[in-house]
Amino acid sequence: MIEVKNIQKKFGDKVVIEEVSAQMEAGRCNLIIGASGSGKTVLMKCMVGLLNPDQGSIFYHGNNFTTMEPEAKTLIRKEIGMLFQGSALFDSLTVEENIMFPLNMFTQDTTGEKLKRVNAVLDRVNLAGVNKKYPAELSGGMKKRVALARAIVLNPKYLFCDEPNSGLDPQTSLVIDKLIRELTLEYQITTVVNTHDMNSVMEIGDYILYMYQGKKEWEGTRKEIIFSKNQRLNDFIFASEFLRDAKDMRMLEETGKIPNDRNMDQMIRP
Amino acid sequence: MTLLSDIGRFLLMLKGMFKKLENRQMYWKELMRQCTEIGFGSLGIVTIISVFIGAVSTIQTAYQLVSPLIPISTIAQIVRDTVILEFAPTLVCVVLAGVAGSRIASELGNMRVSEQIDALEIMGINTKTYLILPKIIAAMLMIPLLVIIAMVLGIWGGRLAGTAAGIISPNLYDKGLASDFLPYNVFFALTKSYVFAFILSSIPAFYGYHVRGGALEIGKASTKAVVVSCVLILFADYILSALLL
Repeated sequence: MIEVKNIQKKFGDKVVIEEVSAQMEAGRCNLIIGASGSGKTVLMKCMVGLLNPDQGSIFYHGNNFTTMEPEAKTLIRKEIGMLFQGSALFDSLTVEENIMFPLNMFTQDTTGEKLKRVNAVLDRVNLAGVNKKYPAELSGGMKKRVALARAIVLNPKYLFCDEPNSGLDPQTSLVIDKLIRELTLEYQITTVVNTHDMNSVMEIGDYILYMYQGKKEWEGTRKEIIFSKNQRLNDFIFASEFLRDAKDMRMLEETGKIPNDRNMDQMIRP
Repeated sequence: MTLLSDIGRFLLMLKGMFKKLENRQMYWKELMRQCTEIGFGSLGIVTIISVFIGAVSTIQTAYQLVSPLIPISTIAQIVRDTVILEFAPTLVCVVLAGVAGSRIASELGNMRVSEQIDALEIMGINTKTYLILPKIIAAMLMIPLLVIIAMVLGIWGGRLAGTAAGIISPNLYDKGLASDFLPYNVFFALTKSYVFAFILSSIPAFYGYHVRGGALEIGKASTKAVVVSCVLILFADYILSALLL
């Protein structure tokens, strides 16, 4: 479990995150959503220790990560896997070498054992057989899956995904979402996903934290988001007519009725 | 203010390199990779520059030695000392600042911009130790060797050009090389090469590691790294000459 308490981060005079608190449970997909510039990437970077918050604390299973000695932080980081927005694969290494890198660095396993593990995680992300390819030879979706394989190769307790669907087509996005969800449940990982992809919100959002201009605006589950009265959240999530229709459909399924201000004629258009 | 802050960040970067290694074998592998890239990767350009510098030195020295009272073997002495004292260490290192320095800055800059350095940090790897230290050690191991090769090739290039142009016979050239040779000059040149190797690896590493932005900033950092390295090499050259000669 990860607990974020009153995190604040400034860049110069500009407050990027203001008093954000959240609790992210293990075995669940915890989503941080918000418009570009709302502070979600900065929050995630504070959580993994790439940035130091100016105020507040982050707890990993009750241990205060923000005040830890660097050595203790390193130990926590070895339990973290992270999928970066641009995949962050090492260009000069093959897929196999990329995934084997954490194993080479932190384990004493034999080459055979490491190779077995690499093949197992590649198989898990449905990419068996691409071992010898270089990142430049892969598509965007394949790169993300390789990065995901590298992130889980050491069986992390915490998985962070920074905009895993950015630059991907809707079908590939669904594949990535499905993989993240399956891995979270399979290994009971505390997964934190930074996204503004509405499909992800509805598909994998067990816990959703909505950020607006650096502040926590709303939190809840994907079921609760349908019934939320928060105008900013609704404007953000259900930005298009199509998404508003989808929301109403879901409401209709859940409760048998739709909001008072809309009717079926509005919803179903030719 | 920016200069002071840069110096401070540079010193912190150097301090940050000396941390416990996570896995010695991986660091050794990275060191060998850097030795190959800096050493063998620069061998071609060093060979070409050295041979031509020696050749040009011979021809220009002969052109200026017009007095019949000065023995012709003096040309070899002048070429030897110029190549050993200045051309091999300084000129080769200035060229290497362009070749190896820009490569170091752009490699680290690209890793920074594409979040590869962040990925290593998240894994719990000290990126300064893993990415910067091997580059500096490799430069300090390989560049003095390149300078020695440059000395030999420069002197040989002078012999070749002198003979080909009919300026000096090979025997006279060899005789000139052997006369009044001071081994201290080689020691001085190697001392310079160690200092220059540190400059041309650490300065680009600093600029590359601290890149912020995108591809344009990588190019800017790379150019700045080469310019600053070259200026510092020339400045260090002056200081070392004043102190040690």
